[in-house]
Amino acid sequence: MPGAQAFETDFWKDANLRKVWDEIVPGEPRKTIPCTLTREAIELYCRSVGDTHPLYFDEAYARTTRYGGLIAPPSIHIMLMFACTPADDWMRSPGTVNAGQSWSYNIPARPGDVITLQARALDKFIKRERLFVVHDNVFFNQNGDVICSGRGWTIRPK
Amino acid sequence: MTVTFESLKAGDPIEGPDFAVSRESIRLFCDASLDYNPLHLDDDYMKGNFGKTNFGGVIMHGMNNFGLISRMITDWAYPAGAIHRRLETRWVKPVRPGDTIRPSGIIKAKQVTAKSRWVLLDVVVRNQNDERVATGEAMVEFPEA
Repeated sequence: MPGAQAFETDFWKDANLRKVWDEIVPGEPRKTIPCTLTREAIELYCRSVGDTHPLYFDEAYARTTRYGGLIAPPSIHIMLMFACTPADDWMRSPGTVNAGQSWSYNIPARPGDVITLQARALDKFIKRERLFVVHDNVFFNQNGDVICSGRGWTIRPK
Repeated sequence: MTVTFESLKAGDPIEGPDFAVSRESIRLFCDASLDYNPLHLDDDYMKGNFGKTNFGGVIMHGMNNFGLISRMITDWAYPAGAIHRRLETRWVKPVRPGDTIRPSGIIKAKQVTAKSRWVLLDVVVRNQNDERVATGEAMVEFPEA
């Protein structure tokens, strides 16, 4: 993943470069960036949801399990979504409201994995004056194995 | 007691721990998820209207609910040798600093397929007033030993 210096945390910056609802073309791939998933990023994510499971923290324990070593929790895609997209990606538009998501999990991500994302808007619609975009995403590891795939519904800022 | 596919039945509950939501917990989730949307950071921005909605102040990331539900499922599945395979969620109500939320679930059905065994769960996150803030469905695989 990008270091703290590399990741732009001011989502207003570059806001004018991001596509608004009118410009988002369903089916068009989003730009993505491969990222290396670090043990530190996994541990930080786990702490943020109060997860202390030794599969994510204790290498000696993790080696004794069916996983054979440290893994990331399934929901690590929450962080990977931002780690694998550039600052002008429309998912960062201030005021983007998440309405719901669905995710399927294949194999776990692991520390050191080089993660790639294939992502696109799949659909857009207007409902009760709200501008919705459906996005779909698939994360892969460096071997081309699917880690997880998911779809989300966001309400776009006007 | 470790759960087994055979022993589970529709209506069985699962539960996760309480999660205290604060400005600090939301800020930590920003750093952990890399989602720095001002919805979660900027009170002045949140005084404005979002279409017909006014949140009145910063709100927790919807995906923080998702992470808590997912953690409840893995905590339940790992000791049983089971695998968290799917989670679908919708956000029903915003969560704010000062709220305490708790995920729970209930087994809806079991299903045996050609090559594996599955447990389907309804999941929910409730706040301290017992209001639903997130709802969803999950799927856990219990592979044959």
